[in-house]
Amino acid sequence: MAPEQSPPGARIRGLTVVYRTPAGELPAVSGVDLDLAPGTITGVVGESGSGKSTLALALLNAVQPPGRIAAGSVEIDGLGDVVALGGEGLRRARGRHVGYVFQAAQNSLNPLKTVGKQVLDLGRSHGVEDVRGLLADARDLLGRMGLDGARVLDSYQHELSGGMRQRVGIMLALVLNARLVVLDEPTTALDMITQATILRIVREVHAERGLTTLVITHDLGVVAEVADRLAVMYGGRVAEQGPTREVLAGPRHPYTRGLLGAIPRLVGDIGEAHALPGRPPTLADIPADGCVFRERCPLRMDVCETGRPPVVVSGSRSAACHAVRDDDGDRPAVAAATGEDQA
Amino acid sequence: MAVLLRRLAGHVARGFVMILVVTTISFLIIRSVPGDPLAARYQKLVEQGMAPDAAQRAVEALYGFTPKGGLWEQYLDYMGGLAHLDLGQSLSVPGAGVSTVLFSAAKWTVIPVLAGTLLSFLAGVVMGVYAAIKRTGVLGDLLAISGSLLHGVPQYVLALLLGAIFTTLVPILPAGGTADIMIDPGFTADYIGSLVQHATLPVVTYALAGYGGWILAMKSSVVTVLGDDFILAAELRGMKRSIIFRYVARNAILPLFTILALSLGLLFGGAIFIERIFNYPGLGLMLIDSVNNRDYSLMGGAFLLITTAIVVANIAADLLYTVIDPRVRSGGEAA
Repeated sequence: MAPEQSPPGARIRGLTVVYRTPAGELPAVSGVDLDLAPGTITGVVGESGSGKSTLALALLNAVQPPGRIAAGSVEIDGLGDVVALGGEGLRRARGRHVGYVFQAAQNSLNPLKTVGKQVLDLGRSHGVEDVRGLLADARDLLGRMGLDGARVLDSYQHELSGGMRQRVGIMLALVLNARLVVLDEPTTALDMITQATILRIVREVHAERGLTTLVITHDLGVVAEVADRLAVMYGGRVAEQGPTREVLAGPRHPYTRGLLGAIPRLVGDIGEAHALPGRPPTLADIPADGCVFRERCPLRMDVCETGRPPVVVSGSRSAACHAVRDDDGDRPAVAAATGEDQA
Repeated sequence: MAVLLRRLAGHVARGFVMILVVTTISFLIIRSVPGDPLAARYQKLVEQGMAPDAAQRAVEALYGFTPKGGLWEQYLDYMGGLAHLDLGQSLSVPGAGVSTVLFSAAKWTVIPVLAGTLLSFLAGVVMGVYAAIKRTGVLGDLLAISGSLLHGVPQYVLALLLGAIFTTLVPILPAGGTADIMIDPGFTADYIGSLVQHATLPVVTYALAGYGGWILAMKSSVVTVLGDDFILAAELRGMKRSIIFRYVARNAILPLFTILALSLGLLFGGAIFIERIFNYPGLGLMLIDSVNNRDYSLMGGAFLLITTAIVVANIAADLLYTVIDPRVRSGGEAA
């Protein structure tokens, strides 16, 4: 399929996802605003428990119980608000409009069926009439990613390596010509060489097929490698976002700074890398008021205990931090609220 | 196919050795049971009022032999017979070969137990899937509790309970036997109807006794598979519910097939309590009788039958697995 029309964009607004626990409903994602501009690769970085995977699932309205989307909207071009979708409409959107690629270490394939049979199941689920064409597409996609397509279609999951499985996952996400693709930890649990290969494939396929791509990862290196835009998540909130290069070159949020400071350099003293003190909050101890990062923040102030940090927007970048407002000085919190809507 | 054949050959060889070992052990155990089959018979005749030497002569005439050889000789004799598929003569049923006695008893065990097992398997698996899907609801809880409860009640309690209910309180079913003795055996509707009627209570008991185990096993298996990543992955790819259901069912039922095959091997063990309670002349009752009568060859034959059935069931389970699980299949290729 030629990318004759522009790929869909997505706009996440005020997204809040809560999980039911014995201690009540706790937010895993809280008031997140994020834009996936058409044709771009957006990277979401965060530690375990930062809510990044929940965010990815919310994009397909697929948050698993006991979790649920409590508020907000996910507008996808051509689909409307996914949060409002349900039943058959939602099922058809998944796979057809939005492709989802699982982490390679997760077994995203039915162990009892060959890859080819699962492609056919996918086709049957989405009413594909041209079964041969579908299989040919699958074979071509696999071939495009450097695999022997015919052989892989005849293989069972356990006969494939991690890198091969990941490519099969990408194939399954794209074979129905979805133009919005979510990759959840695409390189986790792969060796370095395979990681590099997968990232190259993601970049190339993204460009060739004209996709809008969201990459979820805990690895800043991955984001630096592929993403046009970057969003850093912490405690279920977006701490900072902006064009990848700018954010990495001049991080504003103290958490982003901490993350970058914690990366050991290839050249230089290992002692120059400083781990962030403390540990990320879990669902149970995310502070309800104020800033979620304050416990580990070097710039902690009194206001951080009570006030939720305003989103400070400047140009195409934004950061949610009381200290950033103080740094910039010229940008009052009120302006930040209105600036949220800009793409 | 070659893999399958090689696997089969290995299994058959191992199974053969296993049967040999078990047969030897059971031979030794049977022979060391205190008592003597001829003495037991002699005693019985004397008790019935026969004169001692008349009884002695009757016993000798009845069996046509008095074993004199030592244990070793008897063993070689027995194994030699087995090599010719000759299980020997029954000592308690004069004039009848062990295999004849075994097979006439086997039909009263195999068919009802098989029916009961398959019935409980089907019901348990279906209800297990349901209990797993509805596990957060009241219905799921009730199903699981019914499973635990039935699984916990001993078979004979169940049998007595059912017997009490359906033969005494609501007397709609016969209390025992295989068929109404007033009806002539034959391929007639009356006789078959009577057979079914008499088999109902034993079969229902087997089914209820097995059902609890199946529902619990299937429920936990389904819950495990539902939590697997590939199910969520299939959902996120927009797979149809019916296809996802098949994914779940096929993956979840896999481990249960092994248990099913093994439990089919136990068919021949007979259900001693249940056959006793419903006075059903199957292998279980026959085994008790043979032990009481010190019928060495019948005991040996019964043990051999049970051993062989279990070994064969094991082989069948393994081969079945090779067919239904591709992971096992290629494991064989690699080896």
